[in-house]
Amino acid sequence: MNRRKFLAIMGSAGVISALGTAKVANAGVHTFPYYADSYGVLHDTTRCIGCRRCEEACNAVNHLPKPKKPFTDLSVTSTKRRTSAYEWTVVNKYNVNGKDVFRKLQCFHCNDPACASACFAKCFQKQPDGSVTYDGTQCVGCRYCMVACPFYVPGFQYDEAFDPLVQKCTFCEPRLKEGKLPGCVEACPMDALTFGRRSDLIKIARSRINETPGKYVNYVYGEHDAGGTAWMVLSPAVEAPAVAKDAKAHADAHGDTSELKQLGLDKHLGTQPMGELTYGALGTVPMIVAFWPVLFGGAYAMTKRREAIFKAEKDAHVKETKDDLAAAVDAAVRKIEETQGPGAADTARRAMTDALKAREAACCKEHGEDK
Amino acid sequence: MRNGTSLLLLAALALAGAACLTALGAGSATAAALEPTDSGAPSAIVMFPVSAKPNPKGAAMKPAVFNHLIHEKKIGNCETCHHTGDPVACSTCHTTEGKAEGNFVTLDRAMHATNIAKRAKGNTPVSCVSCHEQQTKERRECAGCHAIVTPKRDQAWCATCHNVTSSMTPEQLQQGIKGKLSPDQNEALAAETVQSQKAVQPLTAMQGPLKVTIDALADKYEPNNFTHRRHVASLMERIKGDKLAEAFHNKPETLCSTCHHRSPLSATPPKCGSCHTKEIDPKNPNRPNLKAAYHLQCMGCHQGMNVGRPKNTDCTTCHKARP
Repeated sequence: MNRRKFLAIMGSAGVISALGTAKVANAGVHTFPYYADSYGVLHDTTRCIGCRRCEEACNAVNHLPKPKKPFTDLSVTSTKRRTSAYEWTVVNKYNVNGKDVFRKLQCFHCNDPACASACFAKCFQKQPDGSVTYDGTQCVGCRYCMVACPFYVPGFQYDEAFDPLVQKCTFCEPRLKEGKLPGCVEACPMDALTFGRRSDLIKIARSRINETPGKYVNYVYGEHDAGGTAWMVLSPAVEAPAVAKDAKAHADAHGDTSELKQLGLDKHLGTQPMGELTYGALGTVPMIVAFWPVLFGGAYAMTKRREAIFKAEKDAHVKETKDDLAAAVDAAVRKIEETQGPGAADTARRAMTDALKAREAACCKEHGEDK
Repeated sequence: MRNGTSLLLLAALALAGAACLTALGAGSATAAALEPTDSGAPSAIVMFPVSAKPNPKGAAMKPAVFNHLIHEKKIGNCETCHHTGDPVACSTCHTTEGKAEGNFVTLDRAMHATNIAKRAKGNTPVSCVSCHEQQTKERRECAGCHAIVTPKRDQAWCATCHNVTSSMTPEQLQQGIKGKLSPDQNEALAAETVQSQKAVQPLTAMQGPLKVTIDALADKYEPNNFTHRRHVASLMERIKGDKLAEAFHNKPETLCSTCHHRSPLSATPPKCGSCHTKEIDPKNPNRPNLKAAYHLQCMGCHQGMNVGRPKNTDCTTCHKARP
C-alpha cells in the first residue's frame, strides 16, 4: 500500500466516525429524569449560628466514628473543613464583608448528579425522593465521582485496606422512608434547615427574600446552579464596608466579590448539569468500541487482498516472459546446432543462460526494495 | 329711649369685645402651639399631591402633614432632604406626574422610594420612607425589633402621615393640588393637624408578667425564666420620648407585637405554642417549629441590638443543662 491509499482510507474513516459521534452526542443529552415531587432542604445561612448540632446528629443517626474533637468545640468552624468519608456534613465560618456567616456543607443532591455521570459502575442513583444514593457493591474505587463532583463532597475510605468505599451524605434516605426528617434538619435549633418539596422550598425562599428586603441576596443558590440541586442556600446581604469599596471596585475587574462568593458558593458552575459536559463524549465510547475494529479490520483485509492479486498477476507475467525467453533461447541454440554443430550450441546455450541469470540478478537487485 | 340707646351701645360693645377675644384667642392658639423653626420655614406643612392636571374629585389619599420643626431639629443638615441644596418645596420639582426639573421622579417615589441608587457624586436623595427605614435599621434601640419584624404596610401605616385635619375644605384641597393655597392657610391647616395629634399611651411593663417560665420544650435543658418585665421596660426606656417611635407606634400594644406577632393586637396575646408546633407543621413549612421560633426571636433581636452576651452558642446561659 502506498501513502496516497493510506491517507484516503484514513480520511474516509475519520469522516464516517465523526458523523457517528455527532449523532450519538445529539441523542444522549440527558439521562436523568427530573422528579417534580422530589424533596430538598433550604439552608438559610442568616439563621445558622454555627452550633454544630447538625454535625452531631448526622454522626449519631449514621453511626459514624467519633471525631477527635468533640462537637462542643466550636473553634473548628474557623478552618475551611471539607466533608470526608466519616464527616458527611461540616459547618464552616465565612467572613462576608466583615460579618461572620456560617454555612453547612454536605452533598447538594444535584438533580442531575455529576458523580453519577462519571461512574461507570452505576453506583450512584438519583432517587425519586430527591436523594442521590450510593451503592458500593459494584464500586471499584476509581474515585472518578470525587473528581467529577463540583462541590468536592464524596469522601474515600483511605484507611480501609480491603474494600474501601466512597461515602457521602445520604439525605438520610432510610429515615425519609420511615417518614422521619433528616438527622441534621431535626437537630437544627434555628430552623436554618427547612425540609420540604423542592418546588415549595423555592417558593419559601422567594417569599423570604421578598418579605424582608435587604436581608438576603436575591439569589437562591442551587435553584439552577449545576443544573439545580435538592439542597439550596440563601445568603445574607451584607453591604461592603465603606473603606473596602474602592478595593471592591478594583476587585470587580478581576473577580467576583459578591456575598455568595465570599460564602464559598461558586456561581461559575453555570446552569448546565455537570454530566451534560461528558455524556456526549462518553456516549461515543460504545460506538468506537464496536465500529472502529470493523472499519479498520476491513480496510486492512482489502489492502491485503489487493496485494495478493497484484503478486499473482506479476508472477504470471514473470513466468510467461521466462517461458518466452526459454523458447527463444531453445530456438537460437537449435539454429546454431544446425549450422555450427553441437559444441558451439552448448557454448552458446551456456553463455545465453549466464547472461540471462546475470540480468535477472541485476533486475532483482534494482527492484529489491519493492518486495 | 336713652336707656334703649345705651343698651344698644352696650350690646354692640359686648359683641365687638367678644369678636375681638375670639379672634385673639384663635391667633394666640396657633402661635403658642407651634414653635417657630430656626430656618424660618413653616413649622408644619401640608404636602398636597400637586399636579398639572385638574383633579376635580380630589386626591385619593388624604394629603400628608409634615412636621418640619421636629425633622429640622433632628436632622440639622437641610440638604438631607433638600438634596439639590436649594430649600424649595418638594412639589416644585416632584409632582404627581413628574417633571423634567425633577428628572421625572414622581412625588410618590420622592416620598416613598426605598430603592434609591447611590449617586456617584453629590448628594444621594432620601425619601421619607427610606430615611425612616434607615433609622430603624441603624439605631440600636430600634434595630432589635426591626431586625425581626417588617411593619405591615396597611392603611393604618399610611394614615400615620396622611392625616390632614378633616376641617380642610374641598376648595382648599383643590387650591392645594393646583399649588395655589396660600402659605398662611397651609400652615394653619398643618398646625391644626399637629395640635390634634396626641401621643398614644403605650402599655407599660407593669401590665405584663414579671417573669415567664418557658418550659414547653424543657428536655436536655432546664426551663428558661424569661424576665418579661425587664425586657419590656428596657426596650421602652430606650425609645422614651423618641418622636419617630411615638408617631409610628400608634397603638398601645405596638411594641408588644414584635414578639407577639401575627395575632391581633391585644394585651393578652396567645402563647407562642398556639401557632408554633413542636414538630414542624408540614402544611406550613415556612413557619418555624417552637424551638426555632424562640431562638429566632430571642437571638434575632439580640443580634439586631448588638447585644454582646449571651453568645448564640452559649446554650446554658439562658437555660441550665440538665444533669
